[in-house]
Amino acid sequence: MDEKEPQQSRRGFVKSATALLGAAVLAAPSAKAMSLTNPGRERGDERYIGQEGKRFGMVIDLRKCVGCQACTSACKSENKVPHEKFRTYVPEYELGSYPNVHKAFLPQLCNHCAEPSCVSVCPTGATFVRKDGIVVVDNEICWGCGYCINACPYDKRYFNPITNVADKCTLCAHRVDHGLLPACVESCVGGARVFGDFNDPHSAVSKLLSSFPTTVLKPASGTKPRVFYIALSGEIQGLPYSLKALDDMARKIDGMPTTREWSTKGE
Amino acid sequence: MDFGALLHTISTITPDRPWGIDIPNYFWFTGSSAAAFIISSFAHVFGMKEYKPIAGFSLLLAFVLLVAAPMNLIDDLRQPGRIINFFFYGWENFPTSPMKWGVLLLIAYPLLILVEALVLYRPYFWFSKGVVRSQEQVEKDHHLGVILGAIGIPLALSVHGYTGYILGAVHAIPLFHTPLMPILFLASAMVSGTGLLIILLPIFQKFFTDFKQVDMEMMQRLARLLSWFIVIDLVIRFFWLTFAITFNGEEKYALKLFFGENFWEVLIVDYVICLFVPMIIGFTSYLTRSFKWVLFGGILSAIGVWIFRWNTVIGGQSIGKTTPFLLEYHPHFSGFDSTVSVLSNWSLLIALIALVMVLFPWDKEMANYYVKQGDR
Repeated sequence: MDEKEPQQSRRGFVKSATALLGAAVLAAPSAKAMSLTNPGRERGDERYIGQEGKRFGMVIDLRKCVGCQACTSACKSENKVPHEKFRTYVPEYELGSYPNVHKAFLPQLCNHCAEPSCVSVCPTGATFVRKDGIVVVDNEICWGCGYCINACPYDKRYFNPITNVADKCTLCAHRVDHGLLPACVESCVGGARVFGDFNDPHSAVSKLLSSFPTTVLKPASGTKPRVFYIALSGEIQGLPYSLKALDDMARKIDGMPTTREWSTKGE
Repeated sequence: MDFGALLHTISTITPDRPWGIDIPNYFWFTGSSAAAFIISSFAHVFGMKEYKPIAGFSLLLAFVLLVAAPMNLIDDLRQPGRIINFFFYGWENFPTSPMKWGVLLLIAYPLLILVEALVLYRPYFWFSKGVVRSQEQVEKDHHLGVILGAIGIPLALSVHGYTGYILGAVHAIPLFHTPLMPILFLASAMVSGTGLLIILLPIFQKFFTDFKQVDMEMMQRLARLLSWFIVIDLVIRFFWLTFAITFNGEEKYALKLFFGENFWEVLIVDYVICLFVPMIIGFTSYLTRSFKWVLFGGILSAIGVWIFRWNTVIGGQSIGKTTPFLLEYHPHFSGFDSTVSVLSNWSLLIALIALVMVLFPWDKEMANYYVKQGDR
């Protein structure tokens, strides 16, 4: 027997094993194109790329919000948002102390931040920013680790119980890409929500930004939100968590059961 | 007037949080693994002879804990079938997503321990087959073991450090957001790892060896070591909390609220009962002479670190970001990310410990230190 033969066969084995391993690696995600970032973006899918040269966002004029929740319900029906989950909602606050009190509403949605903390922590590249600034989640890539949900300082992400992955407001990108307005904007009875392109100086949002003093939620978090508020009360801007909610007290009085995994802490 | 009295939340939604009971358990497993590895390296790398008898045992324990740990992670995922995506996509976020570092660390570290264990136990596997080894071969193996151990130390620290980093990098949660978090995690890991060794060592020495006796001197040594680790842990916790309360930022109010509301669970149970008591036991030579007290201290500290992981992960998430006050967590009983799944993970860990301890001749190696040549 040739002395070199065992070596050759070993080399042959290594070669075929490498080839097999390579084939397995390529075949595993065969449904999606191989990509180190995100297959949809690599493919150049329009839904992933968005509208180049634009920068979408929203200005919310709180003087016009009446707390009717039309936006909340329009969003739920447009985006088929599951039961007990919300992409946008309008919490209600009471400011001041008796007898000097007034109510305040604070419509909230994903801020489509310029520096989104959810995107930088994503270990699968499932959440990313489109070229027009809209932050989206690829629900075929997301593996549901929840890192983005904890990283969002605004609590605007949740697990969708139908897709079983992280989900959030998309600024109705599917509508915007067809030249329509987001559902919440279209349904806002007071005209408090204004949507548009911040890159266009003639857009309504650009004009509002230059005409009124505006502010964002939690500016200290450094995420540079692209949802601006007109007439936002300083007391609620930081969304303080140091107080007990009236609905906590109501829950206690009503003896509401805590069947959910996470619930408001009763006293 | 109290600023707080100016604002009441009348209605808002209660958000769900993503990380459940699996995650504190994962942190406990990886932390204890890192500690077991470091203790085994006391002998293998730093040449501390007094730890030689338990170096091999401790190394195997480190391996088993790290094999079982990621199962907790997978169970916490909402789409566990997509684990492959973790390896293929999202590499552009590698510099900013500490979770992504796990791809490399969670593969490299257990592999390294396995190789080190195989090198360490090679003479015992060979000896049983009647192969005689030269002194040169033995020295070569020893040298290889030292190198692997030396690489393993930073790797072990990284594996557990990165888990702390995952939390520390979450700016949105005041209880997580501190650069001290990786170090805090490492310090508490050393406590739980040593505690676990104090629990397991007597069980294995007493029931699964030929010499059938507990090395009480080693138990005392471990108890003393545990106390020093607790001192380090407490000092770092002191830094963490005092730094947060100095300035009147968001973190101060969140921590005040959190520690105030959970005073009993956090400060009394975790800090006083589960850290302070074992520390006193370890430093009191009268108590360390008693096997029962040492074991009690070990059990308390191992449980205490689990509670610390729970208080950090669950407690941090209980702090509202847009909702007032705190949230409450009630883990599901069964299904994904539930009490039953964590118990299953513990069963898996125990099964793996049994399997690895059966496969590896740790008892023969340990007997070298306890049985005189003539008695064998």
